[in-house]
Amino acid sequence: MSNTHQLTELFANTKGTTYQCDTTNRIIIQFGETRVSLRITDFLTFKKRVDSVDIHTMIFNTDDAYDVEVIDAPRTGHLFVLSLCDLIALRDLLAGTRFVLDLNTLLNERIYSTLVF
Amino acid sequence: MKDLVRMRTSLKEEIERILNEQIKMEAHSSAIYLAMAAWCDRNGFDFSAGYFYKQSNEERNHMLKLFNYVSDMGGHAISPEITNVPQEFNGFRDVFELALQQEIAVSNSINRIVGTARQLNDFATDQFMQWFVKEQIEEEYVARRAIELFDVIGEEGVGRYMIDKAIPKISYGDVEAQ
Repeated sequence: MSNTHQLTELFANTKGTTYQCDTTNRIIIQFGETRVSLRITDFLTFKKRVDSVDIHTMIFNTDDAYDVEVIDAPRTGHLFVLSLCDLIALRDLLAGTRFVLDLNTLLNERIYSTLVF
Repeated sequence: MKDLVRMRTSLKEEIERILNEQIKMEAHSSAIYLAMAAWCDRNGFDFSAGYFYKQSNEERNHMLKLFNYVSDMGGHAISPEITNVPQEFNGFRDVFELALQQEIAVSNSINRIVGTARQLNDFATDQFMQWFVKEQIEEEYVARRAIELFDVIGEEGVGRYMIDKAIPKISYGDVEAQ
């Protein structure tokens, strides 16, 4: 991604930060060492995948298979391999991001609805 | 900052979710009617089987109408997974009672969508759903009339044969045809 692209920070927590790029119309997720760039539809799909993981099963099932969750980030060729703590942090990051996106929609509706140019 | 969510779709997340639930419900109805058609065929109620095949097609068309709307508005229309379709029924009348219950459930669900659309100021979805509101008046009438025939004609003697013959002739707003 070019440095000339203007990034707006959307949300941050201890594990990561999300940005919006108005040049490419993409959401950038920086999570630990991983950085992926998603179209908005793919971001929403990714969020649904992360939200659909059964955290209680991960906590209470002692089988090794439940120690990590592997989630595909759509159309990036990247797989997130997440421990329970990672998963909770990523869920928080994406929920915060979604909140800011919705807040932005609300602001656009209220403030900019008459300005079409 | 660009409003990427609104640029993608005019559907709010909640509306998209309940429309997808309705898509699933219509698909489920279509599958149930198909099972009812098969049951009627197996038990010699040929005319009723034809009626349920037609109903099944109608429900599928309702599903597609909703599916296309969600897609056209930039939403994510989800092709539904259908499970728990009953294949056996207790009797001829029972089939029609279940059909009416199914239609009532669909009507209630559509009313909830309209209510939510109005709460969220989604007037496009409200307007779109009005077609379904009207359609359910007809669907419920037809299903209710079918059960009425069991009482009016009676199941004794050639009663079931007569009911079976009368079922496809039921139509809303056209008493002469019955």
